[in-house]
Amino acid sequence: MSAFWLYVFTLIFFLFDYFILAMGLNIQYGETGILNFAYIGFVAIGAYMTGAVSMPNSVGTGQHYILGLNMPFPFNLLVGGLSAMVVSVLVAFIALRRLRTDYLAMVLISLSLVFYDICNNYVPLFNGADGLYNVPSPLASVLHLTTNSFTVVFALLTGVISLIMWWIMSRITRSPLGRTLRAIRDDDGVAAALGKSVFRYKLTSMMIGSFFAGIGGGLIIQFNTSFNPSAWLPGETFVVFAVIIVGGVSNNIGLLVGSLLVETMLVHLVAFLPAIPGHPGLILNIAAMMIGGLLMVMLWFRPQGIVPEKLRRSPAAVSSVTTPTEYAGIDEGVSHD
Amino acid sequence: MTDQSVSRADSALGCQDLTKSFLGVRAVNGATFEVPRGQITALIGPNGAGKTTVVNILSGLMKSDGGTMHLESTETTNWESEKIARLGLMRTFQLSRELGGLTVLENLLVAPHDQPGEKLFNIFFRPGRVTKAEKAHVERALEVLRTYGLYELRDSRASDLSGGQKKLLEISRAVMAGPKVLLLDEPMAGVNPALIERIGGYILDLKAQGVTVLMVEHNLNVVEKICDHVIVLAEGRTLATGRLSDLRENKEVVSAYLGEVIDASAIS
Ligand SMILES: Nc1ncnc2c1ncn2[C@@H]1O[C@H](COP(=O)(O)OP(=O)(O)OP(=O)(O)O)[C@@H](O)[C@H]1O
Ligand SMILES: [Mg+2]
Repeated sequence: MSAFWLYVFTLIFFLFDYFILAMGLNIQYGETGILNFAYIGFVAIGAYMTGAVSMPNSVGTGQHYILGLNMPFPFNLLVGGLSAMVVSVLVAFIALRRLRTDYLAMVLISLSLVFYDICNNYVPLFNGADGLYNVPSPLASVLHLTTNSFTVVFALLTGVISLIMWWIMSRITRSPLGRTLRAIRDDDGVAAALGKSVFRYKLTSMMIGSFFAGIGGGLIIQFNTSFNPSAWLPGETFVVFAVIIVGGVSNNIGLLVGSLLVETMLVHLVAFLPAIPGHPGLILNIAAMMIGGLLMVMLWFRPQGIVPEKLRRSPAAVSSVTTPTEYAGIDEGVSHD
Repeated sequence: MTDQSVSRADSALGCQDLTKSFLGVRAVNGATFEVPRGQITALIGPNGAGKTTVVNILSGLMKSDGGTMHLESTETTNWESEKIARLGLMRTFQLSRELGGLTVLENLLVAPHDQPGEKLFNIFFRPGRVTKAEKAHVERALEVLRTYGLYELRDSRASDLSGGQKKLLEISRAVMAGPKVLLLDEPMAGVNPALIERIGGYILDLKAQGVTVLMVEHNLNVVEKICDHVIVLAEGRTLATGRLSDLRENKEVVSAYLGEVIDASAIS
């Protein structure tokens, strides 16, 4: 297979993977209003745990890491998702109970920096700055895949997984639970005055979103067969925010469009461009600047994103059951003050 | 101090010696009153008297610095607002707080407590139950919207409504939750006379259905027409309680509040 098609399938992988990541951050930020500036930390937990549990015992591998359970796919991936979810519960109890949105955002960003430093420096956990490598490729031996065909199969598999995750997320956001989360996003004081347990719902939203983060992270380490601190600089969180804001908050199609534009085109496509002689890394920096610029343009001219949030109008069935009554005009009810 | 005008047995809601300061400003300074069950009570007083702060404390949105309060026979001092709401107390806000990104219908659909569809487990494993409950809620919400004249606006974004429409939305959302006690913070402020009349009618209907209402209101004509009982608040303290006609005789009340209003209406 030509290098071209390998590129294409690598891009396809990141398109679908960031779609999953964007859905996870969107339920927290877009639906519930939680500014989770530590999101990439949950992605990392998913990646490390997925890798660590699928690798053999660390003795004799030349790496240091916890667990080492030889767990097969997709169970290792589920462990990754669930681990991120468990950590989100701890974080929620520390940060989500009392803090206002802006303070919460600061606490979360601090927590992610602390966690980053621990992973980067404390070798026994996930092998420190070297991170995990030689992570077994799922299904490769079962399906007799080469490195190249693995790329294709795993990119497509990630597409299937992202569709399943999409279905799950749509069920949630369309349910009364999703509606209550959006009520909390719009005004948590009103939600509380209506008897909603705001913390419990924020916790639920954190858990669901972190599960998605963990799965997305697990897929990354499986695809790359390695993962280390250079892959999840805390600033990466803002790439996922950019995906959501550019594509459209609270709209799953928008999230897919956002992943295509921001993650696939700006982050990964440019990475394949030949380096400008004498300026290594310049292209990546230009890409980062373009993401920042795109974000500003969007926030200025189209803050609702390319595909804006749809109002959930009453289902057609509802209108047909009911007979419209005379509309008593109340437009006169204008405010005098 | 206790409020002698309503016995505790007849009271749906009440407070004793409530205090609350903001950076040294005593907004509430010993407010004490009982709200008679099944009646409409007005909470009146000059601007800045602490009426909204009292409503905020009674509904759990703010914690008092001191004093106690109860809802029916339950002591609710320092309770979270979600817990107070679940006991059957609903409130509206002086400055409307609609859930702006939701439709009018969705604003009402948020209100019912303990919806099966609010639980993850039910969404995936008991979808039938979720749909059934949702249908019932939609039917009831549309009925409430029809009652309050918002039916045609059901699919509008709540943030797009006019000021008066938002007032109606707040009341209908509170009603949707099936309250036993309703706190209305100036439900008729900034509303035209025809709508004032209509809202007055709605409040009387709620009373007929057995709801206890405590409303902050500046318009004494409205108070005279629909309220059974009046609480006068001045500088964070309860100045007097009783029927409006009795309070008109009270010199202190007249000079603190009624006087200025009567003078003002004499001019206009
Ligand atoms: N969140 C707050 N922070 C600081 N001061 C406040 C706050 N809320 C109220 N106050 C002060 O407390 C006092 C009482 O305010 P409150 O809103 O309860 O009055 P009110 O009786 O509802 O007045 P109005 O009739 O104008 O609505 C005022 O002096 C106000 O400035
Ligand atoms: Mg007020």
